[in-house]
Amino acid sequence: MEKETARSRIDRYLPYLLVLPTFAFVSLFTVWPTLSALYRSFFQQRLNIAKFRTPTFIGLGNYADIFSDPHFHRVLGNTLFYIIGTVPLSILLGFLFAMLVNRKVRNVGLARLAFFHTTILPMVSAATVWMFFFTPGYGLFNTALAALGYSGPQNWTGSPDLALLAVMIVAIWKNAGYYMIFYLAGLQNLPTPLYEAAGLDGANWWQKIWSLTLPLLRRTTLFITTIAFIDAFRTIDHIFVLTSGGPSEASTVLLYYLWQKRFEQLDIGLSSALTVILILVLLVFTITNFRVSEKGEEDV
Amino acid sequence: MSNKFRIRAGKLAVSFLTLGLSLLWLTPVFWTLIASLRPADDPLGRGNVWFGYTLTLANYWRAWSMAPFGEYYLNTVSLVLMILGVQLVTVTIAAFAFTYYQFKGKKALFFFILLQMMIPTSALLAPNFSTISKLGLFDTILAIGIPYFGSAFGTFLLRQAFLEVPRDLVDAGTIDGCSWWQLLWHIYLPPSLPTLIAFGLSSVIWHWNEFLWPLIVTNSPNSRPLTTGLVRFTQLGEIGAQWSLLTAATLLVVGPLFIIFLIFQRRFIQSFVHSGLK
Amino acid sequence: MTLRKLSALALLVLLLTGMLAACAPKEEAGPVTIQVYYPVAVDAPIAAIFDGYIEKFQEQNPNITVEAVYSGGYGDVKTAIQTTIDGGGEPPALAVMLATDLYDLVNAGYILALDDYIAADEDGAAYMQDFIASFMENSHYDGKTWSIPFQRSAVLMYYNADFFAEAGLEPPDSWAAWGEAGQALTQKDSDEVTRWGIEFPSGWPYWLFQPLAIGNGQNIIGEGDAEVYFDDPKVIEAVQFYIDLSEKYGAMAAGVQSIWGQAPTDLASGQTAMIVHSSGSLNTLLEQADFEVGVMPLPGKTAGTYASVPGGGNLYLFDNIDKVKQDAAWKFIRFLSEPERAADFSIQSGYFASCKGAYETEVMKAYMADNPQVAQARAALDVAGAEFSVQNLGEVRGIFHNYLQQAYNGELSAAEAMAAAQAEADAAMEAFK
Repeated sequence: MEKETARSRIDRYLPYLLVLPTFAFVSLFTVWPTLSALYRSFFQQRLNIAKFRTPTFIGLGNYADIFSDPHFHRVLGNTLFYIIGTVPLSILLGFLFAMLVNRKVRNVGLARLAFFHTTILPMVSAATVWMFFFTPGYGLFNTALAALGYSGPQNWTGSPDLALLAVMIVAIWKNAGYYMIFYLAGLQNLPTPLYEAAGLDGANWWQKIWSLTLPLLRRTTLFITTIAFIDAFRTIDHIFVLTSGGPSEASTVLLYYLWQKRFEQLDIGLSSALTVILILVLLVFTITNFRVSEKGEEDV
Repeated sequence: MSNKFRIRAGKLAVSFLTLGLSLLWLTPVFWTLIASLRPADDPLGRGNVWFGYTLTLANYWRAWSMAPFGEYYLNTVSLVLMILGVQLVTVTIAAFAFTYYQFKGKKALFFFILLQMMIPTSALLAPNFSTISKLGLFDTILAIGIPYFGSAFGTFLLRQAFLEVPRDLVDAGTIDGCSWWQLLWHIYLPPSLPTLIAFGLSSVIWHWNEFLWPLIVTNSPNSRPLTTGLVRFTQLGEIGAQWSLLTAATLLVVGPLFIIFLIFQRRFIQSFVHSGLK
Repeated sequence: MTLRKLSALALLVLLLTGMLAACAPKEEAGPVTIQVYYPVAVDAPIAAIFDGYIEKFQEQNPNITVEAVYSGGYGDVKTAIQTTIDGGGEPPALAVMLATDLYDLVNAGYILALDDYIAADEDGAAYMQDFIASFMENSHYDGKTWSIPFQRSAVLMYYNADFFAEAGLEPPDSWAAWGEAGQALTQKDSDEVTRWGIEFPSGWPYWLFQPLAIGNGQNIIGEGDAEVYFDDPKVIEAVQFYIDLSEKYGAMAAGVQSIWGQAPTDLASGQTAMIVHSSGSLNTLLEQADFEVGVMPLPGKTAGTYASVPGGGNLYLFDNIDKVKQDAAWKFIRFLSEPERAADFSIQSGYFASCKGAYETEVMKAYMADNPQVAQARAALDVAGAEFSVQNLGEVRGIFHNYLQQAYNGELSAAEAMAAAQAEADAAMEAFK
């Protein structure tokens, strides 16, 4: 009897203990800094202007400045375009790749490696290689396009219409293989007869994917969408290498803008406010996404 | 008959599509490999972007000599193994708690931890630096790794795997009087081992390639990882791009990762079979 | 089962090794240890050269230990230092940062004025006198001296002298001659250009643009620290000239050219007859090119005028650290700028030597005699104006880049773009007027 109580008491506290290490590290290195950014976002502090060096409380002043700044609107537009352009397409490609390599044929492992290897490469190196590929005239990307009959503009990193597209192409190339992995897992988990029915035979291929495979992979898709969305906000290395956010801000996205405010313009208050905005956007999206994906499940 | 033919033609088409897309996707890395073997004094130009006048390993020697890569390799290996080791523990027990127990605030805690996935570390450099220096960890390998000791991604992924473990099995274990760690060790972990390996590879790749944070919290070769050597080649500085050096250095840095992936490839991909994502 | 045990064991071992490596004790240092943050790029094996100097310095000063920290490019070094100071850490004693970072660093209270050290040294005045004048343009603020030139460069025009000889052309001495030479040297295969006359990068455009403005008699900045001349008719004319190089002369590809990385390679492989680039790429060009590389400042508008602008990094001494460390760092600064060392650094790295004395040394004279291009590059400094540096530089430079690129890409006319740039820049510098 006594033993029972002891055990149930342990059981009461144990889950908290088990979560504690993760909780502690997340608190210390993610949540606390976020709160500190929130706090600093209510102050004006610009390190490169002597009289604004010490923080002064200005309430929501930084937020007001941000939302009334036409540059910020441009940056938001770019970010939105970047997300709409990269997230669905890389997920779609990830799905296609998964379908292609989820077969029992020879050398399929090599094809998996081919699609996945981009995940391994550091973005800085990959982007620098792409910088060469985008070279007008003889860069491989342009040569390949020309071979396909493309005769449009080639100034990928210098033209205001193409620069954002260029960094998006690199991001899609880099990420699709990562998402493939999750689809592959999902596909292999499908009930075999169903999966075979949705296989690669005959005229109803697309219909079967549409009405069988995709619905069954719904949770995978939501999970990947979340990761892809977060990735789209978090990765800017390729922008540094390829375009420096230019020409004329054409490829400046939210995190790059934040970076400029913080480290080029030394505006602590404004960049803290931007951090808060960035985190809020991600939070709203992710929570909505998880709500949708967890709906109808008994756990959590 | 014609139906069979159509199926065969369809399969062939899919194979060709796979081959074509694989080659397309691999082009940059093929080029990287070839460019790394090109003599440095042979400039790229129109119609001359692949092989140089000869093949050479000189770029690799030169890149190797431009930074203490030997030391960096050791540091990176210690770093990723340290992070992985700690993560495997923290992630496993947290995922177990979130799967097995019902407790107050469970949902809130879970979302709290998921925050980590959403917040770009590069936006929080200064406060994290401050924490590191208060902990007296500046310029240690531990400083690079400690912010990642808890992993929302891993917790989430592993929880998914644990949810797949049949409840009957768990109940049987509970009735038999297994302690929590026996349940975890004997019932939850064995079927989830592939997921752990998958998560491990993800973690290793990610931390192998991270560079901004290590650049800021370390400053001596005793603690700096490979990527801080790589940045010496990715910065164009005042000079034009040195493709041969950059590509050689890149392959030096990621080479081991390719090998790890090749070894674990089968496992890595098959492991997701059981990971419970669907 | 065995596999599981094995992996568990392996895990444990790995974990322990990781922990051990992380906890390895740090080496004990001598009486004073100072750190120097140094940006590295693929330039020369700068790290090896610099480590050599440190060794020599430590031989001469056994009580001082210098640790060089190579942290990516200029941007990364600045980020690391800002994060360190903002996060309550101790900055390094010394860092090589962009000469143009001056105002930001002073305003943020990061750096120490050097006047006391200069005054305390017997030969202080002579020491300062010896630096090449255009390298000192970004070292003074508020009546004080804040930085010592070290890793310096300038904007140059490089040309393929063989192409010029084949076409019977002389190196251009005016804008018109430049455009025409570029036009004559551009080659086409039916519609496709196979060789450009000029490649003029503009992905990060202010630096390479400045010589155009200076060559028209009006730099984009003035004497004051919050004074810009973006909408000056001469500056607008310079913007228009850049556009004309493609529109009027067809000597260059149209629009913004993000080709900083490729341009030197393109010259070396004969893809272009001329490039505008940093003096820092001279050594590689000489190594790669199998033709005679010509080096000159950029032609000005009127015949016989030329212009350039300096660039690169200076040595900054940090505030809020032990005086002993600052003293040691100053010693190291003096050591680095001794004429022999400056000459050696220039020869090994391809950067300019920062002081006139270096160009009087025997080694440097001999080196220049062997490499006439080095002397030609050096001559560009005589026609160089001041590099773009004003208060609130990050924002003002961003504004200028934004509108300059809009003009280059034909989204706005040169005059419209520069008028807008001027207005926004003035607003951004309001706090300093």
